[in-house]
Order: sequence, then C-alpha cells, then structure tokens
Amino acid sequence: MPKSTQYTLKVLDHFKNPRNVGTLEGKGVAVGRVGNPVCGDLMDIYIKVDDDGKIEDIKFKTFGCGSAVATSSMITEIAKGKTLDEAMKITRQNVADELEGLPPIKMHCSNLAADALHEAIKNFREGKKGPVELGETRFACPAGEVKNVTGLAEFVGKGVFTGYEHPEQFRDKRVLVVEFDQNSVEFALELTKVTGRVILLSPLEQLAVNDELTTQVKRSDIKHLKQAELVEVSGGSEVEKVRIHDLDEDEEYDLVVDAVVVPS
Amino acid sequence: MYLDYQSAKPVDPEVIAAMTPYMAEKFGNASSLHEVGDWSTEALDSSRRTIAHFVNAREPEEIIFTSGATEANNLAIIGYALRNKQKGKHVIISEVEHISILNIAKYLRKNGFEVSTVPVDFTGTVRLDKLEERIRPDTILISIQHANNEIGTIQPVMSIGKIAREKKIVFHVDAVASEGQIPIDVQRDFIDMLTLSSNDIYGPRGVGALYVRKGFLLNPLIIGGGQERGLRSGTEDVAAIVGFAKAAELALQYMPEESKRLRQLRDKAIKTVFETVPRSYLNGHPTNRLPNNAHFRFDFIEGESILLSFKERGIAVSTGSACSSQTLEPSHTLMSLGLLHEEAHGSLEITMGRFTREADVDTFVEVLPGIVKRLRDMSPLTKTEVGM
Repeated sequence: MPKSTQYTLKVLDHFKNPRNVGTLEGKGVAVGRVGNPVCGDLMDIYIKVDDDGKIEDIKFKTFGCGSAVATSSMITEIAKGKTLDEAMKITRQNVADELEGLPPIKMHCSNLAADALHEAIKNFREGKKGPVELGETRFACPAGEVKNVTGLAEFVGKGVFTGYEHPEQFRDKRVLVVEFDQNSVEFALELTKVTGRVILLSPLEQLAVNDELTTQVKRSDIKHLKQAELVEVSGGSEVEKVRIHDLDEDEEYDLVVDAVVVPS
Repeated sequence: MYLDYQSAKPVDPEVIAAMTPYMAEKFGNASSLHEVGDWSTEALDSSRRTIAHFVNAREPEEIIFTSGATEANNLAIIGYALRNKQKGKHVIISEVEHISILNIAKYLRKNGFEVSTVPVDFTGTVRLDKLEERIRPDTILISIQHANNEIGTIQPVMSIGKIAREKKIVFHVDAVASEGQIPIDVQRDFIDMLTLSSNDIYGPRGVGALYVRKGFLLNPLIIGGGQERGLRSGTEDVAAIVGFAKAAELALQYMPEESKRLRQLRDKAIKTVFETVPRSYLNGHPTNRLPNNAHFRFDFIEGESILLSFKERGIAVSTGSACSSQTLEPSHTLMSLGLLHEEAHGSLEITMGRFTREADVDTFVEVLPGIVKRLRDMSPLTKTEVGM
C-alpha cells in the first residue's frame, strides 16, 4: 500500500498512457455516467455488448484527477471480454488491487469507476442506449457530499452559509463546516479564532487535503467527524439542529448547531 | 473523599441539633390547640418566616412546605396549569431542565397541554431570543431553572422574569441547584413561583418548599386536612421543617465566604486540569457557573470508566455518560449543548461543598492525569490522533 498521496508506478502508467479512451456508438452500446464536475470528477463508461452478452468493446471519458483517469483506464481493461454478470461483480477493491494500491484519500475514485461500469450495464439491461443526459448525473462528490440535504435550501441566510466569508459573524456559535475542498478546511481553522465549537464533517476516513493542513486540524480544537454526511437541517426561524449520517456505522443522529457552512 | 455534592449533601451537625427537640419532646401536631400543639405551631411559623427571608418573599404565607423539590415542581407546574387552563394550554420550559420538570412536561402533554422547549447556547445558557419566539397568546407558564444541576451554568432569570412579567405569564424557577450558593431574590428577579429543597442546603431529606407569590391560585395535588393553606395537606413534619429552616439560616450566613472559597477551589481545579490533561474541555459557562461546579470532558475516553477509576482510589465523582444512567441515554443537558454522543460519554463532574478542603481538590487533580492516560492508552480512538 502506497504512503499518503504517492501513486504507484502502475497508476502513473495508466494515467500517462490511458487505455480505451473514447466513446462508442451504434447497436448494443450503453453508457454509464457518475460524478459531478462541480466535485471535480465526472466519468462516462461506454460498453458495446455482443449477442452472447459479453462486453465486446469498452471506452471511457473522464474528467478528474490522476487516479480517476487511472481507475477508468484500469476498469476498462478488467471488464473487456467479460460477461455482464461477471462485470457486475467487479468491485472498487479489484480496481485498486490491479493498480497495486491507491492512496487512501483517492479510494473513492475506484468506487466511481466501478459505479460507472455498473451504471452502464444497468442502462444496457433497461434498454437505455441513448446519449447521456446531464439530468441523470449522480452526485457523488468525493469530499463535501451535500446531495439532497433536507431543509438546506430553506435555511440559507438563516444559519446556512454558502460562502467562506466574514468569520466574525460566527462568533461564539456552534458551527458545522461541511468539507468540500481546501478552502472549507482552511475556513474551519479560521473559525476556531472566533468560536470554541467548530465541527468539520468529512465523508472519508481522513481529510482530502495535504498533510500539513490535516495536522493543523488535528492540533486544533476542531471536532472532526469522519465518514459522515449531512442529511437534514432543521430549526425554527433559524437553524437549530442537523441530522448526521454516520457512514461507517450506518446510523443517523442529531446534533445541536447554530450555523452550517456548505459549498454553494 | 467526596466530590459529588450535587447528588447528595450531608446534614449539617447544627441542623441535626436544631431538629432533635422536635422529634421526642416537642412532638405536637401543629393543628392542635393545646400547648404541646402550640410548640409545633410556633416552630412552623418561625421556620416559614426564615424560608421567606431566604428567598426575599414579601410574606411568610407565600411559602408552602412540601415533601421535597420534586413535589414542589409538580405542585407549581401541574397545580398552576390545571387551575388556569381556561387562560391557555401552553407552557414553556428549557431543554436543560432537571428530569423532574421534563417528565412533568410529558405528563402535561398527555393531558391536553402543549409544552415548548427553549434551546441553550454552547455554554448552556437559555437563549432569550428563542424564548421570546416561543411565547404565544395562550402561554400561561414559563419554568426555567436558576442554575443547571449538571453543568452549573447560571441562567439569566432576571431577564426571563422581566419578559414573563411584561407578557403577564407566570414564571416558575427551580432553584435546587443554586440555593445556598448564589443569592435568590424572588422580588428582584420577577419570580412568581420558586422550588427549594432542604437537602441541597445541608438540611434533612424529605422536605422542600414552593414559594408562590400572593394572589396566584393553584390546584392542590394532595388533598386532605387542609394544611399549608389547603395547597398541601398532611400533618407537617415539624422536625424536618425546623431543620430546613436552620439550614437556610446557616446558608445565608455562610454564603458570601463559602462561595468565594469554593470559586477559588473550582478555578484552581479547572486551571490545573487544563494544564495537565491534553484535550480536556470545560462543559458549561467558563465563568458564569455555580461556585462549586467543574464539569469536564476528555476526548477518546468514557466517563463511567473514569468514575470507576476514581472509585478504586476512594474518590466519589459523577459523569454524564450514558453508561452510568438508568436510560442508557447520554445526559440530555450535554446533548442540548451540541455535544456529540462520544463527547458526552467522556464527561466528568465534580461538585464541591461545605466540607471540601483544598487538599481534596489537590488530590483530585493529582490523580486525574494518570487515570486519563491509562484509559487513553487502551482506547482505539486515541491512536488515530496526533500529539497524544
């Protein structure tokens, strides 16, 4: 297993010389799309299925980081020639293993690749063979996943903040910051100067930022909630409570807060 | 070594001395007209005056003796709500009230009333803006504690009293946690009803009182011979009431010096813990808290195992951890602060009192770092963090 953010030679090879880049058209073709450009990852996987139900050809188009490209490339190699049933069994772990490991914070990329392939197979089976509709995009941000948070829109300006500005307005408040990118983590650190209660919510086991910033967070008074996502914001005239989904335990619980900072 | 004065206090020897004559020699029934009865009547009247003075009530008749604080809370809230339901059926309490108030609220809800709860901020202080938001035309009663029994935060009762008085809503205060530690003044703070407990000021258990401002009508909950102006029937426990009054007299006398002494011990304990235990935090308000209360939490460890570790060393402390509660739920007060379950689990409360000496606090702060370290060394949560 490689350390921190280091890529294996195999990952770098697939990134520099990606296999099966492109699109497919015609009979027996279906496509699966996952990710969201807003999050920095968008992946399309095209499959062409022959009369025996085997993946005769496979291509991909990916917008994303090095490991997103490498995992897309790798999964096309693994899936080519397999039956649809066999291909459905390919997991994120298979992809990561074939690449001789991925940095922990990049594991979600192999997940995306497996999801995109499975999505393509599902679409083929359901007879959806047309071009990809952006409306069908599945929102799967690696960091700061804020899909379908109940009540979020309703409380914008009433305790929900969508920018990283004016830390002073958070003085002495209990603030939940949803990790999205480096700015969100830096803002959480900034907030510790004006309030004793900052909670940083990350979907992954660790922050998707550099080691230095990670260390700063660990040394600060920030309460870091890992492998968790925001599912609901509630309150009266202002935010009073959030509901959090612990992805590891698959449990939901309430937490009293005064403000929520999410990416716009 | 005892650092859990919030859960029970010893009876002061002077109190016991004051009570003793009323058990055998002066045993009369205060309702009897003969001389033996008169001794009890006089003791009862004098005790009532003492308790009235203790909270700065206008008249002794405003004090109703009860079997304790739980009964006083019941009489205040249920008694008032039932009597005045034609005026409205809405009651407001805070999220951090004592369990007796929370369960009374449940009872009211089952009986056709609506009860709103007011949230607190991260220090445990009731949010006045949220209180005003929750007031409705049919709100008849607001019940808020004087200070929190767990984390020691002192509530802005005067401001709440002012709001209630302006809106013509009756204001009840549970003063059990604060009595004897900080002054109580029902007139200054616009308080209409106030709950007191005898044991919390080093008096005997089984007795308490409700202050009810003159002119407010309640339904009695205990019906009988019409004692206590008909609001609380049953032959008065004169010995206990005399003890309660003596305790109140001593509390008033000791309060200025004693509060100052305990505040110094408390601040010493807090300062030393912060210096010697990494990732330790204070729950509640940093300064506006009861003089005897220090409520900590420590990352990565669980409160019940802290408590047991202290027990092994002969030291009695308390925790808000779920594992030590009857419901297996973490303390509702700690959850209302916005703490996570694992943070509430890691809490440790010490409450000092009249017989606590500086050496006790020194022993506590000496022993604590070793206990925390041992538990952290075996905790899986610790390893993932730096600097531990």
